[in-house]
Amino acid sequence: MKISGKFVLKVAGTLTIIALVVAALLGVVDMVTHDKIDAINVEKTNQALAAVAPEGAEFTPVELSDAAVAAAAAYGTLDSMYEMSTGGYAMKIVASGSQGSIEMIVGVDANKALTGVSVVSHSETGGIGTKVINNDPNSAGTPVLDQFIGMSGAGSLVVGKTVTPISGATVTTKGITAGCNAALSAVEAMG
Amino acid sequence: MNTKRQFMDGLIHQNPVLVQLLGMCSTLAITTSFFNGLGMGVAVLIILTLSNIIISLLRKIIPDEVRIACFIVVIAGFVTCVDLLLKAFVPALSESLGVFIPLIVVNCIILGRAESFASKNGLGRSALDGIFQGIGYTIVLIIMCVFREFLGAGKFGGGLLGGGGLGAAPGIAIFPEEYGLAVLTLPVGGFLTLGVLIAAMQWGLAKAKKKEAK
Repeated sequence: MKISGKFVLKVAGTLTIIALVVAALLGVVDMVTHDKIDAINVEKTNQALAAVAPEGAEFTPVELSDAAVAAAAAYGTLDSMYEMSTGGYAMKIVASGSQGSIEMIVGVDANKALTGVSVVSHSETGGIGTKVINNDPNSAGTPVLDQFIGMSGAGSLVVGKTVTPISGATVTTKGITAGCNAALSAVEAMG
Repeated sequence: MNTKRQFMDGLIHQNPVLVQLLGMCSTLAITTSFFNGLGMGVAVLIILTLSNIIISLLRKIIPDEVRIACFIVVIAGFVTCVDLLLKAFVPALSESLGVFIPLIVVNCIILGRAESFASKNGLGRSALDGIFQGIGYTIVLIIMCVFREFLGAGKFGGGLLGGGGLGAAPGIAIFPEEYGLAVLTLPVGGFLTLGVLIAAMQWGLAKAKKKEAK
């Protein structure tokens, strides 16, 4: 079969034009929504920071050290770090959940024990994985995110042993646990 | 073809979920609260209608050989727009539906209607088809949500009613949650509910057919 140049031009041309028009439309929508989405994300981060720290704590961003990033990498990605005025650090960690990444803030106090976990963004299944995000009670009756408070020792947090999941949402609980382990190892690596 | 017939097709005779068995993945996954079902249904309705309109307008320009690629680009464009708009203006819905909003791109109802209807029919008919099929899909989602929420957790209208913010509202409690069949709120409950609904629909359709034949 011989393919004529005109045919190729028609097929490729139509597809290119459609793609360009759609891209232009997306550009416009992005312009309208970009600042709003950013503002919502910043506010969520602030709320999450406040949730993991003792009341009245102030946060100062800290430069990430290579050692901390490398230590956290075994469990998740260390995105940013803040020093808490009450001692210890709050970290933004990205770990994988059941449907995609979970972005969370994990607080660790001066004694290297967890002060709390709070989720900034995620794509877990509504009604199942979101139970963990909303801090619903786990199978033992404790709010699932609150059980992490006070735990310490990077790598010692294991779902089914030290951490009790919500039934049906084990993978999401594992994601949060990985984030906590990442935060603990980062702080331990910093000495 | 008339509008009334098209309406009945979307809702009953050619219902996208219960008869054409399209878009079942999202139907199973997100029908856990009234708010999710309604939000997802409306999002799909809007995207389906818009993509049907555009594809119907372009049906004579798009070469047959690359039509699927063109359809997908158009659909993906609209889905991304809706995703961004929801994130900016209805963050509660965007959060509770999560990944299922971007996944509307591969929802086969939309590609299916583009291929089987919008690419062969005029603008008005295609727009109506989008709206009616969208309503058919939304109604099934809502029935699934109400059924699963009521029998599973003894609630009605989770995410919308019962006080609290959009998406966080607990719903109106009808009987205490511990007496509910919790299994219905889990994924397996989605399969059971959908199976029962499809069976009921087929039973109703077969009965109607028999009556007509008599």
